[in-house]
Amino acid sequence: MNDVFLPDIAWLADVCDETPDTRTFRLRFRDSKTGDDFHFHPGQFLELSVFGYGEAPFCIASSPTRPEAFETTVRRTGQLTDALHKLGEGDEVGVRGPFGNGFNVEAAHGKDLLFVAGGIGLPPLRSLIWNVLDERSRFGNVTILYGARTPTDLVYKQELNEWAKRSDVEFHVTVDSAQPGWTGTVGVVPLLFKQITFHPESTLAYVCGPPIMIRIVIQDLLAHGFKEEAIISTLERMMQCGIGKCNHCAIGHRYVCRDGPVFNYGQIREMVE
Amino acid sequence: MAFAIEKKAVTKWLEKLLESGEIVAPVRTPCGDVLFSTIRSAEQVVWDFPNPLHPPKEFVLPQTDPLVKIRRNGQHHEVEPIHDGTRRFLFNARSCDAKGIAFLTRMHEMEPADASYLRRSDNLTVISLACATPCPLGFCICTDSGPFLSDSYDAQLTDLGESYLVEVGSAKGEAVVSEAQSLFRTATEDEVSQRKKLEEEARHYFGEETCHFASAMRRISTGRVPDTLWEKMGDWCLECGGCNLICPTCYCFSVKDLGRDGTWIRCRLRDSCQYAAFTLEASGHNPRAQRKDRMKRRFFHKVSAQYYKRDGAVGCVGCGRCIKVCLGTTHMPAIVGAIRKGKWHE
Repeated sequence: MNDVFLPDIAWLADVCDETPDTRTFRLRFRDSKTGDDFHFHPGQFLELSVFGYGEAPFCIASSPTRPEAFETTVRRTGQLTDALHKLGEGDEVGVRGPFGNGFNVEAAHGKDLLFVAGGIGLPPLRSLIWNVLDERSRFGNVTILYGARTPTDLVYKQELNEWAKRSDVEFHVTVDSAQPGWTGTVGVVPLLFKQITFHPESTLAYVCGPPIMIRIVIQDLLAHGFKEEAIISTLERMMQCGIGKCNHCAIGHRYVCRDGPVFNYGQIREMVE
Repeated sequence: MAFAIEKKAVTKWLEKLLESGEIVAPVRTPCGDVLFSTIRSAEQVVWDFPNPLHPPKEFVLPQTDPLVKIRRNGQHHEVEPIHDGTRRFLFNARSCDAKGIAFLTRMHEMEPADASYLRRSDNLTVISLACATPCPLGFCICTDSGPFLSDSYDAQLTDLGESYLVEVGSAKGEAVVSEAQSLFRTATEDEVSQRKKLEEEARHYFGEETCHFASAMRRISTGRVPDTLWEKMGDWCLECGGCNLICPTCYCFSVKDLGRDGTWIRCRLRDSCQYAAFTLEASGHNPRAQRKDRMKRRFFHKVSAQYYKRDGAVGCVGCGRCIKVCLGTTHMPAIVGAIRKGKWHE
């Protein structure tokens, strides 16, 4: 029987600033065998500990197709994330997981994929996006729509440029309010729908962002003829254990940590708080 | 298999058990309260007592439960699981509390099994004391958790006057009898029928507290409890969390690192689903910001058919403790009654 609360030790191989309050942490396990045995799906998450502060759940933001290390992107917003942001290269953290169901990548083979992300909602989709791009021939059209409050709040800026340049990806970005030097679209994410053509019968839509954005985007997608099962989101809840025991993330008799965090809209609609 | 032990031999039995492990039993404090505690001598155990306000879940799921030892060594950290392998005998737990521990054990056995809890429960022998006189606020008769048990105990004692009938319910129960074999004899038919008679009589002594779960379960499970009713009931909740802390089946928790200067113990701390911060996310978003939503959550978890199917029981053992602690009268029988009748007392 495993000690389900015992973390493995990982160290920060790299720390990269994304926005003034958001950083991407690149991690490797201290014990190479633990690293070799660590397999995950896009959309799964980790319980990351900063020793002395406790642990919290963070999605894995890197793709399983790049197994040499794994990444997580964290906004500084509380005690634990503040402590995490103070750590630098070489510092150690605890890791439990991966947890949750993750995205079903095989089910997306042959489909057109539409990714809609807002703000810090891009990291969980980024794991799937790079998985798809690393196995590009298995999938149909790939469209990525991304928005943030300001240009400064856009995460993975270099990768956004890369996606914009790729001929096998349709990429659109918007910001709620522009800053000097911004020449792109201004407005909320759903505005970007005007710039694309929908093929609801052959497309899976992946939506992640703030609750209000998710709600509006899903309504728009339904109006464009998407089936509830073809709209897939990843939910966020207060969590402690990651294994369906502590009850913080329960919605009805479902647990976001164990039954999710990935749900299609049909499942989300049936959940009763 | 049923045995009997003379009352005057019980002290010897307890002394024998003390040689091989800890005994947890209800004891009377100098102030007169009765609570479950680890005993030093057999005389401390009380046999006629009101059920302690805190259930014995403390000894399988402590309020502060140490899980992992963390040590910083320069830039490196060492982590080590904390194992509690103490052999314990829980003596004179009432039927409801024995059921409560069985409920918690089933829950922690679910995949992924929780080794920290199960190590404690595997080493715990539950020796319950059947209730010939039900307690005034108890409604265990509505939850199939008393006054006498047919499962969920390792050994069940029944007071027969001069002796105790000892029913054995598991291999651990067999062990505590066989380890002190000379003190026990096989129970007579007369003793066994006396126990049956006591059980039947006890069923007539229940007070006014009853809890008709079936219709409340139907309404809760299908979302047919009006929001306005949840709101009214929620208004009476003072958010103290007392109901959760004393409930034999509540196990919600948070995880924190306690300690300083590079040595910490990662602990599981009991939490309450009635606290607003229970679901508060770092972003500030709180899906259950209102009291009515939190109350709905508590009773969905305890009474819904969805959880009944998973846990094989309602999350209530009818001990009546929530009636005692709740200052707002939003305890189990009151809520279940209000849902059944469709209205809350004003």
